[in-house]
Amino acid sequence: MTLVLHLVALFLLLTLMLGVVRIWHGPTAADRMLASQLFGTTGVALLLVLAEAQQIPSLRDVALILAVLAVFSAAAFVTRVVRIEGEKTDRHAVKGHDDD
Amino acid sequence: MIDGLIFGLQILLLVSGCFFFALGTLGLFRFNDTLCRIHALTKIDNLGLGLVILALLTMTPSVASGLKTLLIWWVALAASATSAHLVARAVRIHEPSLPDPLREREHKDG
Amino acid sequence: MSRWVTLVLRALLLWLVWWALTDGDATGLLFGGIVSLLVSSLSLVLFPPSPHIIRVHALPGFALFFLSHSLLAAVDVSRRLLSPSLPVTPGYLRAPLSLPEGVPRWLLANTLSLLPGTLSVTLDGDEIELHCLDLTQPVRQEVEQTQRCVAKLFGLTLNPEERG
Repeated sequence: MTLVLHLVALFLLLTLMLGVVRIWHGPTAADRMLASQLFGTTGVALLLVLAEAQQIPSLRDVALILAVLAVFSAAAFVTRVVRIEGEKTDRHAVKGHDDD
Repeated sequence: MIDGLIFGLQILLLVSGCFFFALGTLGLFRFNDTLCRIHALTKIDNLGLGLVILALLTMTPSVASGLKTLLIWWVALAASATSAHLVARAVRIHEPSLPDPLREREHKDG
Repeated sequence: MSRWVTLVLRALLLWLVWWALTDGDATGLLFGGIVSLLVSSLSLVLFPPSPHIIRVHALPGFALFFLSHSLLAAVDVSRRLLSPSLPVTPGYLRAPLSLPEGVPRWLLANTLSLLPGTLSVTLDGDEIELHCLDLTQPVRQEVEQTQRCVAKLFGLTLNPEERG
């Protein structure tokens, strides 16, 4: 079973990395922010599987913290971006910050 | 016999969990617009996480650590839904005016 | 519900969480109990008791609804994703909210984000704005059904006229 769990962890790491590569290309800031979600689910699953495979229970705590931090990073992103755009001009007059 | 069944079930859950995680990542590549990507990531990855966690629950050594895994699942679900909402809202605010297709669509729909 | 009952319930819940987080370690339970009590009294200041309380007996039904529908949601998106033509007709949609403000609406918004084809975008007054993966689907019925489920969870009765 340990072998299977390691394989699963490896697979999850692979999908996580592919996802990160895709997210790196953006094109918008919101697209990049999806990384927080990706880590919040795939990252949590990866850590939980590793905790079981390597018998390191403390990795579960890391998983929990990662899930909580995912929300905070999203919240920080949203408040920051919304404020910056709001300062520039009225929200309906903004022509959008997409650079694609 | 029972052990074999449980083992088979665990493998099935893990493999299908991996399958859905892979699909979630595929969604990032196939969908062109941010909101559709969020749809794919939120829903598919959550199912993947759920399946992996179900598999791990069958291996859990004690009630407490099983409960902990469930707790992590719940936090991850809430986290995923909340950040999906937050990012979607940020995308929406940045969208160029969108005169009122919302209202028109509402009439068509209702 | 009186503040004391809320305090005790929250402390007990936190203590259970503590127990789970420490993997059932018995040595930390006393300390955890004290911390839970302190945190729950602090939480009363930060989050006053909500008038909407989750009905425990309605929890299994809601969990079943949520789990089955989120499973369908993932299968639905996967099916669209795997078909070569990528059959999506995305767009925005506004739906009226009949749930009261506060916790029930948050729960509805988060639940809808995990249900088939909907993603909560903004809560705006008595309306929720959703992004839908496929506008040809009967999204409104889905929203209504979810609202009824959330209402049942909080022991509320829903009238279309009843607002906030």
